[in-house]
Amino acid sequence: RPPRSTPKPSSAASDVYKRQVHGDYLIDMESIDWSQPIRDGTTIMAVVYDGGVMLGADSRTTGGALIYNRVSDKIEPIHKRIFCLRSGASAHTQKIAQLCRLYIGQLGSELEETPPVYSAAKIIQSFIYNYKSFLSAAMICAGWDPIKGPQIYTIPLGGTLVRENIATGGSGSAYMSGFCDTHYKAGMTRKECRDFMIQSISLAMFRDSSSGGIIRLLDITKDGVSREYISHDQLPLKQNNYSQSCLLYTSDAADEGLGVDLGGR
Amino acid sequence: GDVYKRQGLRICYKMAGSGYDYDVSTLSPEGKIYQVEYAMKATENSSTIMGMVCKDGVLLGTEKLIVSEMMVSGSDRRVYSVTKQIGMVITGLLPDGRCLIDRAKEESASFQKQYGIPITGKVLADRIAQFMHMNTIYLWARPYGCNIIIASLDEGTGPALHLIDPSGQCFGYFGCAAGKGRQIARNEIEKLGSKNLTCKECAFHLAKILHKCHEEMKEKKFELEMSWICPESGMVHQMLPKDIQKELEARAQETLEKEAMADVQSQIMKNINICLLYTSD
Repeated sequence: RPPRSTPKPSSAASDVYKRQVHGDYLIDMESIDWSQPIRDGTTIMAVVYDGGVMLGADSRTTGGALIYNRVSDKIEPIHKRIFCLRSGASAHTQKIAQLCRLYIGQLGSELEETPPVYSAAKIIQSFIYNYKSFLSAAMICAGWDPIKGPQIYTIPLGGTLVRENIATGGSGSAYMSGFCDTHYKAGMTRKECRDFMIQSISLAMFRDSSSGGIIRLLDITKDGVSREYISHDQLPLKQNNYSQSCLLYTSDAADEGLGVDLGGR
Repeated sequence: GDVYKRQGLRICYKMAGSGYDYDVSTLSPEGKIYQVEYAMKATENSSTIMGMVCKDGVLLGTEKLIVSEMMVSGSDRRVYSVTKQIGMVITGLLPDGRCLIDRAKEESASFQKQYGIPITGKVLADRIAQFMHMNTIYLWARPYGCNIIIASLDEGTGPALHLIDPSGQCFGYFGCAAGKGRQIARNEIEKLGSKNLTCKECAFHLAKILHKCHEEMKEKKFELEMSWICPESGMVHQMLPKDIQKELEARAQETLEKEAMADVQSQIMKNINICLLYTSD
């Protein structure tokens, strides 16, 4: 679509919804392109370690240039010990995850035991593969079951199903692939795995514009599931996407007092 | 019984149901559904089927009368493989049974397609039982007149047996039997304790029990159909290899004859003792 010429903010009372005041800035809502689908641009990652599997994701959901949600949760529960990570169009992935939850719930009550992670991955695959011309979804399904232990299955855009011990996805995964290849080792401890994942996702968030916010982590073991998040000020590589006023600063004003780190080197 | 003329066209006989047994959607005042009971009668007088869970696997077996000398042996099949690790045996109205086996194969295939894992015995038995039950609630359908035993070996739960009757009731068993010789079979299974034996050892006992069930009609020719899911069959549902089956049957018959002789001898001894008691003065 050709870009609109900047429209004047209308002053009529009925057009109040078109104006939004944010700090000292007036944002004209009409000039935002609402037709862009909302996407989880994303960095998602899952790693099997000795004793379980850990899932990690950033928290940015974008629609074009607008960040719809800077603290979104891309880790979806499917069952007690099965979770999936979403990347691609948010509407598509949320729907697929919801349907997978429905079918796995039915399977769990028929089997009367923990359903296999493979079945959840198979259901996700059947949606992504059969509707690939309509969907834009790539997901990672990970969990623990009594027969095969911790497992990760990736289902990228075309609908392949691959089992892996380390899986990455989303637009940010390209920026951390070198780091992952160098520093991943099989059979890490929980702490090593956690540090590895925090470091990789930070690197991806640092360079990818569609990834950012906080890092959400989820740990699945035989005994239970635990969640945590790493907030922006605890990230190894600090990012400057929370401060609007950073635009007014020039590059030599690395002002610690304001809590702004431009990340310049 | 009495003969009643009904609507001038139909004749009906006064039976146990007496008016509450005309269709399956009627309950009698005692709370029974007579059509379902009649369906169960269809299986009570048919070939014996039985199954046993062993330490390392599960066995299925049936004895069937040879209907005609001209029939190709092996064409009257009762034991079928539904999936690689699930087998089913039917008794009663055989065409009904075959329809259920087809249904079971469809259910297994669709389960595998959707969930990616082979169906477990318990889930399949549950679904077939629900399917059979469906025919006991509608006016336009009749119940399936057959008993089914489903034998399965799953990765997670191990060997299992499920017996389903025409009413749709389904229970899990360690050893079960249905058909004409079910009482004899059940007594023998209880005495045996198959859970502590391997499939190989238990197969002999299965052959023996099936021969025993058939004793009343010794004159009529019959043959056995046995199958197992165990390490000897590669953990897959398979009919017993013909040579093994022949050998087991021969041993079984020998053992039964010996036991019969021993029975007769002990009877004679008892009588002699009684005679001796009376003659001594």
